Amino acid sequence: MTRVSGLAALIASLLGLLFASYSTFDYAKHLDRRLHDIHCSIIPGAPPTDSADACRAAMYSPYSALFKESYWGGIPISLFAVGAFTFFAAFAVYLLVAGPRAPRKAIGFFGIIGLTPALASLVMLTISITKLGTFCLVCVGIYISSFVLAGSAIAGATVLFAGRIPGMTVSGPFEPPRTHGASRSDVGWLLPPAWLVALGVFAFTPALVYASAMPDHRPYLGNCGTLKQTQEPANALLHLATPRSTQAAILFEDPLCPTCKAFHERLVAEDVMDKLDAQLSLFPLDSDCNWMLTEPLHPGACIVARAVICGGSQARQVLDWAYANQDDLTKAGKAGAAQLRSAIEQKWGAQTLRCMDAKSTELTLNRHLHFAADNNIPVSTPQMYLGAKRFCDEDTDLGLRYTLAQLAPEVLR
Amino acid sequence: MNQPGFGQKPPARTVPMDGGGGTSGSPLAAVAAISAGVVLLGALLFSIRSAVKSAGERLATPDTEKAAVAIADEAQAPYCTPQFMQVLDRVLHSCGLMEGSSRRGCKPADVKTFASISDSDFNALFTPLKARGGVILFDNGMDALDDGAKKLIEDKWSDRKGARYFLVVARASKSGSADKNQALSHRRANSVLFHIKEFSNEPDVDQKVGLLWLGSEFAQLDPKEFCEWPNSRDGTKCDDDAINRSAFASWVDCRL
Repeated sequence: MTRVSGLAALIASLLGLLFASYSTFDYAKHLDRRLHDIHCSIIPGAPPTDSADACRAAMYSPYSALFKESYWGGIPISLFAVGAFTFFAAFAVYLLVAGPRAPRKAIGFFGIIGLTPALASLVMLTISITKLGTFCLVCVGIYISSFVLAGSAIAGATVLFAGRIPGMTVSGPFEPPRTHGASRSDVGWLLPPAWLVALGVFAFTPALVYASAMPDHRPYLGNCGTLKQTQEPANALLHLATPRSTQAAILFEDPLCPTCKAFHERLVAEDVMDKLDAQLSLFPLDSDCNWMLTEPLHPGACIVARAVICGGSQARQVLDWAYANQDDLTKAGKAGAAQLRSAIEQKWGAQTLRCMDAKSTELTLNRHLHFAADNNIPVSTPQMYLGAKRFCDEDTDLGLRYTLAQLAPEVLR
Repeated sequence: MNQPGFGQKPPARTVPMDGGGGTSGSPLAAVAAISAGVVLLGALLFSIRSAVKSAGERLATPDTEKAAVAIADEAQAPYCTPQFMQVLDRVLHSCGLMEGSSRRGCKPADVKTFASISDSDFNALFTPLKARGGVILFDNGMDALDDGAKKLIEDKWSDRKGARYFLVVARASKSGSADKNQALSHRRANSVLFHIKEFSNEPDVDQKVGLLWLGSEFAQLDPKEFCEWPNSRDGTKCDDDAINRSAFASWVDCRL
């Protein structure tokens, strides 16, 4: 182990610790069920921001924490990174201070165990690419730190092979060249397992402290109002039930609302959507059809809502399509009805356009909106009601799984 | 420094045998590492615990900065003046609509009693509904709807927007007895209601439609003003008799 690689390992560990701490403390802040700015920069020391979509998507994803059904928000995996990077920083200090006197087993241990953050990062990077489709920059900071740490661990371990490879010399910056690391001092065989245990203690203790300090969220769940009526008199709402549906639910959604899209995707990712015996009440935040707004918040949402209604038994597919293409549809909606209708026609055909223009479709959408008005729900989307009980907005992201475990455990089975 | 080169046997290593778990290398390094690790971990654990506890305290404290959210409700148009609302409220309550009673609609005596309003003031209340509603015209002594009447009713019904109530105010011209005209205007109001039920196929029509039949005794329409309103027989002669052989139908964008 050279002092250079030791120093690199220390810096990488401290950077990894910094980014993991950002992630952990941002996560912990949200335990109050409110929205907060979060860190989302690869630059150490950059302030939190409210425009951190990728980092928020990662934070709200099912992969951000463990035991989400037992604890509100779960135990963030960044806590394990915090503990592990602390251990690696301390171990790097040991190797750095020991310099040429660093024992062979310590270098070898670090050379192997120092790869574990990189392996974990590879797993999370794969999830980011394949499941989330975005890169959280704080996570990228952790990935880079992990890879640098792994590189320095490997570089440090090469000292053990020095002398076995002809011509290879290894030295620290302040020591003369040596050609065989075999001459290093060493420690007994009990220390590597002890270091492994220490790594485990460092990795798990933050999670234990976090879990032990967590507030009890149960009194706050499901206290966000109830519907006066759960049936639309003319049965106009769209039924999205599947053979796996177990829990009656009513969803108020706007197909061009980004928050609805994110919530819908979370329900799908958590394998909850298909277990809801859901009635969809379209609630486009567009003054073109919604008299509760004086100006359109999501221009074109009324048109897309009519397309969803015209989906009939395929309404869920049309809704999924609208969410998957929301950016394009939003742009088209802002450009004008013609462009939006063209996009819908291209995907769903002229028949859908004719259906959208029918008076009966307009009346059905109007009934959806009156269902919202009759229930005096807040003018916001998305909203989910389990039976008649409102699922609080505050629990639709980090606390989703925990709240479902409390209010509708059958959808998690 | 005496460094062994290739081909030379390396010097014998000394491995301290302190129970197999010795800390050879540098005791100073071990102390530095353990100190750094313990201090760093301790500080982190303290910070994590503080952050979680702090969130718990905020959780127990109501959020005073929470923005007020509008509540979904029926439309409330500018023409819903206190006087209009008062009349509408009395009409809807007294005519059985709000309570869902079996009684449907009001006759002239009822309106005079509970609305406490003159003929012209009553008609003036509906002036803002000129663009929203329409006048369904009937043949003399008849209550049947022609095609134009049906279309007008369907158009007006499907243009609900945010309205909660659909008012039908039926009248009869002054020819004939008051009793006969009252019964005739009642039938005309019902014709509109029955057609709505028939074509819309909606189960809750009764909860939306309020009927008034005024016969020829109260609030007759002035042809100079009301012949200008959208009606079911565009292009036909509109006079004092024709405009009162009618039913005015409109959604009313007022909350009650």
